[in-house]
Amino acid sequence: MEETINVTQLNTRVKNLINNAPGVTDVWVTGEISNFKLYTSGHSYFTMKDNGSEIRCVMFKSAKARIGFEPCDNMEVTAFGSVDIYVDRGSYQFLIQTMKRGGVGNLYAEFEKLKKKLEAEGLFDQKRKRRLPIYPKVIGVVTSQTGAVIHDIVTTTGRRFPADILLAPAKVQGDGASQSIAAGIELLNRVGVDVIIIGRGGGSMEDLWAFNEEMTVRAIASSKIPTISAVGHESDFTLSDLAADVRAATPTAAAEIALKDKKELLNQLNNDTIRLNRALSYSIEKMRSRFNKIDSKLSPRRAEEMVAMKAMLLEHISTKLASSLRNIVEIMHRRYSIVEMRLKNASDQLMQSKIREMENLNNRLEALDPYKVLGRGYSMVTDEGGRPLTSAKSIDKGMEITVRMRDGEIDASIKEIRLK
Amino acid sequence: MKGIEDMSFEESITALEEMVKRLENGGLDLDQSLKIYEDAIALREHCKKILEESDRKVQKIMEASNGIVKEDLNIND
Repeated sequence: MEETINVTQLNTRVKNLINNAPGVTDVWVTGEISNFKLYTSGHSYFTMKDNGSEIRCVMFKSAKARIGFEPCDNMEVTAFGSVDIYVDRGSYQFLIQTMKRGGVGNLYAEFEKLKKKLEAEGLFDQKRKRRLPIYPKVIGVVTSQTGAVIHDIVTTTGRRFPADILLAPAKVQGDGASQSIAAGIELLNRVGVDVIIIGRGGGSMEDLWAFNEEMTVRAIASSKIPTISAVGHESDFTLSDLAADVRAATPTAAAEIALKDKKELLNQLNNDTIRLNRALSYSIEKMRSRFNKIDSKLSPRRAEEMVAMKAMLLEHISTKLASSLRNIVEIMHRRYSIVEMRLKNASDQLMQSKIREMENLNNRLEALDPYKVLGRGYSMVTDEGGRPLTSAKSIDKGMEITVRMRDGEIDASIKEIRLK
Repeated sequence: MKGIEDMSFEESITALEEMVKRLENGGLDLDQSLKIYEDAIALREHCKKILEESDRKVQKIMEASNGIVKEDLNIND
């Protein structure tokens, strides 16, 4: 008779089989951690996986205390433990006793490989990055219709520059996700929007994997419309982020990048108005002051002032002229006096010297006066006519002469002539 | 220049900025200044209207057998 057992018995038998089976107990296993969760009890639950398969893992508090590092998602590890059956749920798991870091995670390796390939093609070049439109009219969004992403984008954009939102619903996780995302991008390109946000919420590397797949990355890179990627959280980085024109840390940030803040724009308008008013009142003020200047020139009072001013100026000039004339006359006069004085001095001197000269001559003349010498025993001899006789030769024997002396004259006749 | 009503926000605000600069630079006669001022104020009103009064559409787009379909999207639930 065939044995009939209940579910618990079945699972217990499997557990016993497994616990004693070689090859699945006390074994080292390499893989990559994902969905890591540390419970308040101190036990850790996570998945280890490679390219082809995955297994749920449990590491109790005591084991975790031994390993000396904090396991986290995407970490490549080698874990030592045994497969165990969880009888209550009929599921099996890898019960880890200890764990080391290391090995090459396949997803990460794939990521790097694809990154290198697309990088070499120039898909991530900075020079490919386009400027986003400043005031888009329609924002296309490729994401899940039910997720928080579209909700966040619609809410955030409501407070910003008004733009229509056009969602191309896409599967963002699991099989066919990358095809779905690529189709959404292509569709929005066809209907024409101004900018496309491609996004999904946070998750593990596996959850975000569609955004690291070649099809998604190529669809983003070949979009004719500028793209913003908003995948996961700030710390997540996908190849989609590298291919997009702009990377936003979150979907909310993407909405803020796509559209300017409405309040800021209103402030800018107010600021423009203030500048307009200021510029206008300034030019009116300038105009007014120009008018005032002309006006004041035209007023009769101003004309009187002008005449008075000119009169004053004229008076001033004539005063100056008179005083300078007076000066000139004075200077001339002084110069004339000096000359006159010098002339007088000169003529005086001349006169004095002439007088002295005359006196001198006079003296000399007096010295020559023949009558003067008569006193000293000399006598002057003249002929009958009174002509002086100075030579014995001019005198003949018997000639009558006059001898003049100091106190009288005597007439005499020549008795003898003796020549020398 | 096309009528203000037909101008996009970008065209309007660009023209507005230009007018502000022209007016600030001065050298215009009073009539020109007043004309620019009037135009600028009209542009400002147009920009404000776009910002404050536009009704945006939130829709989803899908490709169905009968072509591309757009429907209103309600995300509040």
